[in-house]
Amino acid sequence: MHISEGILSAPVLITGAALAAAGISVGLKKMDSDKIPEVAVLSSVFFVASLIHVPIGPSSVHLIINGINGLLLGWLCFPSILVALTLQAILFQFGGITVLGVNTLNMALPGVICYYLFGRLVNRETRLVSLAAAFSCGFFAVLFSGILVALSLLFTEESFISAVTLILLAHLPVMIIEGVITLFCVAFLKRVKPEVFGGIYGKGS
Amino acid sequence: MEKVRRIQISLLILFTASLFVISISIPALAHKVTIFAWVEGDTIFTESKFSGGKRAINAQILVFDRQGKQLLEGKTNDKGEFSFKIPKVADLRIVLNAGMGHRAEWTIPESEIREASGLLGNKRAGESSQPLAVGLSREEIGDLIEESLEKKLGPIVRMLAESQSKGPSVTEIVGGIGYIFGLMGVALYFKNRGKQRHREDRDD
Repeated sequence: MHISEGILSAPVLITGAALAAAGISVGLKKMDSDKIPEVAVLSSVFFVASLIHVPIGPSSVHLIINGINGLLLGWLCFPSILVALTLQAILFQFGGITVLGVNTLNMALPGVICYYLFGRLVNRETRLVSLAAAFSCGFFAVLFSGILVALSLLFTEESFISAVTLILLAHLPVMIIEGVITLFCVAFLKRVKPEVFGGIYGKGS
Repeated sequence: MEKVRRIQISLLILFTASLFVISISIPALAHKVTIFAWVEGDTIFTESKFSGGKRAINAQILVFDRQGKQLLEGKTNDKGEFSFKIPKVADLRIVLNAGMGHRAEWTIPESEIREASGLLGNKRAGESSQPLAVGLSREEIGDLIEESLEKKLGPIVRMLAESQSKGPSVTEIVGGIGYIFGLMGVALYFKNRGKQRHREDRDD
């Protein structure tokens, strides 16, 4: 879902960069030194996940893993994803430096939204509710990303509806796979370390 | 508490490591398209691929001249290829638009087009074709050389096209992860230094 260089117009790039910068500053403010290693690990998960291709459907799609990033990091997923995307742009030429802001926003904002939508539900004692919320978290993070990508392309592609259906259809397998991955991660982490889901932002905030 | 945290971090590292192993073992395919174009005779061939080798099928191709005027438009076939007759002897900018925000460019300089097609034509027009001793005219020999060169160079051109769309290598992947952990170290250093200074201030 990385948007390449030279597609978006300057106003879209600037708006995206400004919004991403706002998200990153919120994330950095909330970052506790205890949380830094976790941010780094999830950043590298995101960095590597883009290399895993899902060979279903007509287009080239890959894992994104922004659901888990959002669920475990909240606003901290903005800096986490920014670092990963920067390195992907430099080392793999995915996306690009000028579109970094837009791409960060498109991937990280859905993570934050899903954190607020499903974070509490994942914490529930009832196993079924918690796992269903975990699946939805992974699923909807990709779905929202798709919608944001289509919105960014609004001024370049002819029609929003066709862009959105194309992107969402291509990413349907990814959504399901990410839902399942998130589900297993949550089930596993709940068993070995349930505290990971509570108190993301440290004691200070 | 400290122990639990350590377990948590090592689990996350394990998860990353397993993803990493998967990503290396599956041919890496991901979000980047490349287009490669070359001239053969009077035709320009293009080949479009996603990073890692999946062909960009049914993708839009636009050809512009240096002034940005669109010369022609087409769609790649099911092998990701698209070829067209040279529309104009000038610098050609070939833009691939594979949808969903994927775009790539390739420029063919005017000289390359001239060399491949124009020069030959000029010579033919300029010099009278003297039959050589073997009974072959100048242009026939020229054509023969041209033909056999194209045949010989074909695989090399194709190899170049292949190398254009290679996915990320292991070094780059490992390097990227290294960068992230290096950044983590820097961030921790500054956070801890701030804390220490805070503590010292309190002690004074």
